[in-house]
This record gives sequence, structure tokens and C-alpha cells, in this order.
Amino acid sequence: MELTILHLYPDCMSLYGEYANLAVLRRHLEALGVSVTVETALFEDAPDFERADFIYMGAGTERTQKAALTALLPHKEGLRAAIERGAVLLFTGNAMELLGASVTDGAGKVWPGLGFADFTTQELDRRAPEDVIAHTALWDEGLVGFMNKCSVTRGVESPLFDGLSLGFGNETEGGPEGYVSGNVLATHVTGPVLVKNPAFTDFLVRRLFEVKGWEAPETLPVLPCEREAYEVTLRELTARIGKKQES
Amino acid sequence: MRLILAVIVCKLLRFVGGLVGKGSSLPGQYALKVCPDVLGRVRLPAHIIAVTGSNGKTSTVEMIAAILTADGRRVVYNKEGSNQIEGVATLILSNCSLGGRVKGDVLLLESDERYARHTFKWFHPTHFVITNLYRDQLTRNGHPEWVYDAIRPAIFPETTLVLNADDPLVSCFAREHDPDRVKWFGLDECAISTKEHHGVYHDGARCPVCKGRMEYSCYHYAHIGHYACPACGHKRHETEFAVTELDLDGGTLTINGETRISLAFKSIYNVYNILAAWSACALAGAAPSVMAGVINNYMLKNGRMITFTLGAHRGTLLTSKHENSVAYDTNLAYIAAAEKPCTVLVIVDSISRKYFTGETSWLWDIDFDRLDAPHIGRVMLYGKYCNDLAVRFQYSRVPADRIEVGESIAEAAERLKERGDEDVYVVTCFSDRDKLLALTQKD
Repeated sequence: MELTILHLYPDCMSLYGEYANLAVLRRHLEALGVSVTVETALFEDAPDFERADFIYMGAGTERTQKAALTALLPHKEGLRAAIERGAVLLFTGNAMELLGASVTDGAGKVWPGLGFADFTTQELDRRAPEDVIAHTALWDEGLVGFMNKCSVTRGVESPLFDGLSLGFGNETEGGPEGYVSGNVLATHVTGPVLVKNPAFTDFLVRRLFEVKGWEAPETLPVLPCEREAYEVTLRELTARIGKKQES
Repeated sequence: MRLILAVIVCKLLRFVGGLVGKGSSLPGQYALKVCPDVLGRVRLPAHIIAVTGSNGKTSTVEMIAAILTADGRRVVYNKEGSNQIEGVATLILSNCSLGGRVKGDVLLLESDERYARHTFKWFHPTHFVITNLYRDQLTRNGHPEWVYDAIRPAIFPETTLVLNADDPLVSCFAREHDPDRVKWFGLDECAISTKEHHGVYHDGARCPVCKGRMEYSCYHYAHIGHYACPACGHKRHETEFAVTELDLDGGTLTINGETRISLAFKSIYNVYNILAAWSACALAGAAPSVMAGVINNYMLKNGRMITFTLGAHRGTLLTSKHENSVAYDTNLAYIAAAEKPCTVLVIVDSISRKYFTGETSWLWDIDFDRLDAPHIGRVMLYGKYCNDLAVRFQYSRVPADRIEVGESIAEAAERLKERGDEDVYVVTCFSDRDKLLALTQKD
């Protein structure tokens, strides 16, 4: 069983330790006997989408995100073909915004996006850094994490999370968050979201097994301390619901 | 009239606050309510030095104050580190005559990088020292470019910028500034420089101006070094103030090929803090002999190293700011350089003392591989977020059989007491350090 992960722009679209998502996903796949290859593409490269089973991009600064968009746009059709072939895509943090129709920056400049979805993003002059608990129908547990966004995304028709019990959604406090369409998944949650959420990792593992036509075991491997870390964070964040952040 | 009232309110509250041991920002906060533009009304000294950046502000300010005081100036500065506008107002008004004149020759301010623009709306520094910008408290600060954008409105044309030439992002502040009003400091290529980048992440990989691939002829640490962007030409500037020779193991450096300084702390960060302080003081007209006399073997008063005894162990607590991987890396490097057998205890219990967050992504920015050294026998991971630490360590080179995980800090102290007499290093933040120190005998 062989599987290829394509990590887009790891040198700069990994602002909050996002590289860890792939390290953890890889280890979960390897625990099931999958042989994983991780390929990377920098701005200067033509990404090799043809062999990719899983395509990932993490968060960057606002300026780096525009550079990532500029680098990726010429290869849009290759990415589209990979998605149509069934490759699983996950964009986290402000990489999510690239999938939409446009991003309008703080100076009012409109940057056309990849256009895989109709949503549009408006950057703001303030950030809303906050902890998040998010709920989805795709797996059972609440997702914990952190968001560090300075934008609102409007017009998402199929959000990944139906609502948040903590944090700011695509356009409202507590509202729907992220985007999902088939195997394309995106969330503005930053950082090592898969590390923090074994259930999300398991969901991706099962989805990848499906795509590859492999049979996944009924129970997936549990790696040490991951569940315990999740439960502590969920407990701590749950205790914060309804409380105002000081400072 | 409101000015006088504001000064009186501030002094009074400061006095009362001193009696009850209250913080240093409240008096200024009230004074600003009485007279919102009070900082624009007071008469300030001719020399106003501000220091900002991610790391090293407090140490740099402390050394500048020591040097200029030795040079015979009366220096008014925020030694308590209250670096937002309220704290600055407290400082200024406490040192003000009723007529509104600040009694000093130099006003020296440590300035919070995000709030500098609010403080300097009312008065402009004559010299603005910017030490470095890197990932620090990103849950509040967003990211280094966001902080850069926050500092920019605090820079005024008449201010002389004193910049770290080795930081590609800090260097950008000079781009729209009169070049005659920019002074540069930096470290020449030396024994500690490397051709390859070291660390888990590389924030200098891309040019901050054009996002092209940055080229480095050498790195000093993290993204600090000698860089040039082939695409747009943004590159390290020549320096007025340079460390021209550095022997970190021996603990000496040479400034501008002339002045030799011994280091009380053999860390690269201390080198930069000394150089930044030297540059600011030289620009303020301090004599090199005075500067060298003060800075030689200078022991920082705000030292973040605390020694203690626990059972048969000699312990050293290295205060490392959570959410600041550079601060952690510094201390891990210190431990890695020790040669005697030791145990390392890492505690993450509350991530911040100022606000709540469960955010632990910064653990992935820390180079814990440094703890894979033969003299480090055991690594203990403790506190509420011990499992996050444990997962992080599974992806480090530290062998699993050396790692011990537990939630209770009291249990960590008990375990240590029960066994062995090796040295113990504790790596943790202000928010968590007293939880352990309370269980030890401090020196």
C-alpha cells in the first residue's frame, strides 16, 4: 500500500506549526502498514499533482498567502484534475481562502482565487485570535483548535462545521465554519489541527483508504497521548464557553 | 490645570500603590482619564530612546540605563517593564515636576511592539531601537509581519532608527526612512556562524519584501544572519556598530575591532542585546571607555535564571516564555552545552499568565532535538498540557525510554526528591515557574 502526500509551500505556509499535521497523518497511515511518500512544492516549482493522493497547505502571513495564490494559480487546472480524480485536499488557516472566488486585502485590492467554490473573503484590520470548539456531522467528536484570522468569508454553501460552541465562524461568532465539497476540505483553524484531533485524523485516514480502494480495519490505531491531549484541551475549552477573554 | 491635576493624581496613586504593592500601570491609566493628551503636554528630555522587538527589550533597556547613568546622565526609564501607554504615562508623570517638566536628561522606554503607536502618538522618540521580530505570543500577536505593520505607524520622520541589520524583517523599517536617520548594528561572520539554517522552522526562507527565495551567506541563529534577495535586492545593510569578533565559548566579543568585552552570559542573545545597547548609547554620545566599563561582565538584574535545591539535586530554572520558541531554544541550547549528567523538567501548565488559551502549536516550533544528548538522562514532561508535550516529543530525536510524563507538578517535585542527585534543569514560563519553585529551597 503506497500513498503520496503533496505538501504545498512548506517553507512559508506553515506559520503555526502546521507541518506537524503531515507528520501525524503519516504516522497514523504507517501504523496501518501504508508506505507514505511526502513530496513538497515551493513557489518556484510546478507541483506534481498527478501522483498526489493527499494535498495539503497550511497558514501563512497575509502577504505570504497572496504569494502562494500567485504561485498556485498557473497550476490551477492540474489541481482541479487531481480533485476530480478523487485526491483528498485539506487547506487550513488562510489557505482555505484560496479555494474561493476572491480575497480582498486590507488595501481593497481584489485577488481572484482558485474559484473552486463561490465564497469570497474580505480581510480586516484586526485579528480574532481565539480558541475553537467546532462541530461537524462527518465525525462524532467536537474539534478543538485555535484560529488566528483577520478576515470574514462569505457565501460558503457547504461548511465543514455546522457551528462552533467557541470561536468565530466563517462570518459570525459561533456560526458555520470551513468548507467541504466531496474530498475537498478546508477550515480556518490554524496549527496542528490533526495532532489535536485524532478523530479528524481518523476521518482522513478512512477517506484516503476509500479513495485508494483499500479496506480499513474497523478500529484504527490509537497512538500514545493523543487522545489524552485532546480530552484535556476539550475540557479546558469547554469550561471557557460563555466567558469573556481578558486581555 | 488638567496637566497639573493629572500629575498629582499619578503621583498620589503611585504613592498609595507603592504602599499596597500594586502594579505600575494604574496611576497612568487614571492620569490619562483626567487629561487624555497629558503625554503631549509634558516637557520631555531632549533625548528619548525607545526599544522594541520580540526579545531582548528589557535587557537592552537595563544596559542602556546602566551605561548612561555611569556616563553622568539622569535616566528616567521603565524598569518595571510596564511597556504599554498606561505604564509609560505612570513613568513619565511620576518623574514630572508640577509644572510638567520631566526631571531627567534621558527618557528611556521599553515599548510594547503592538502598542508603540499609541504611546508615540503624543511624543516621538529621538532614537528607536528595534532588536528583532520573530514568532512570539502568536495568540495575541498574529505573526511577525502583523507586528511589523503595527510598529510602522509609531515611526516618525525625525526619529533615528537603530536597527538590527541581521534581521531581514526589521531591516524593512529603513525602506521608507531617510537613510541618514538609520543606524545599523550587526554581527560579522564569526565562529558561531553556520552556512545552513538551524531550527524547526525558517522565517527567513522568503524575502519579506517580494517573497522570493532569500539567500544567506551565513546564519547566526534562527533567521538572523547575512542575507540577500536575488529577486528584489533587499539585503543586509552595512553596519555602523558591529561585533567584529566573537568567541562564545571563551565569553568575549569585540566591538568595531577596538573594544573587547567579557560576557557574563555566554549566549548569542546577550551578544545582540549588548550590541543594541552599545549602539544606542554611542548615538547618545556616551564615551566608549564608559560604555566598555559598564558592559564588561555585566550581570543582568532581570536575570531569568533561578537556582534552587530540591532533595539532593542542584536545580536551575531557566525561564522560557511559552509561545516563544526562540526563548525555549536558547535555554535548550544552554542545557545541551552543559556536560554534567542531568535531568530536564519541562512544564506547560498555564500557557499564559495574562490570558487563557489552550493553544499549543508553538511546541512544534521548538527544537526539542537539542535534548537528545548523552548527558541528559531523563526528560520529565509535566503540567496540564503534558500530553501535548508528550506527543511533540514523539516526533523529536529524544529516545522514548528517557521520557516521563505526568500532570501534577507536585508529583514531579516528589519524584525528583526521591531519586538521584544529578543536576536538574527546569524549563518553563513565568506563568508556571512559581508552581515548582514553591516546592523547592531557593538559593
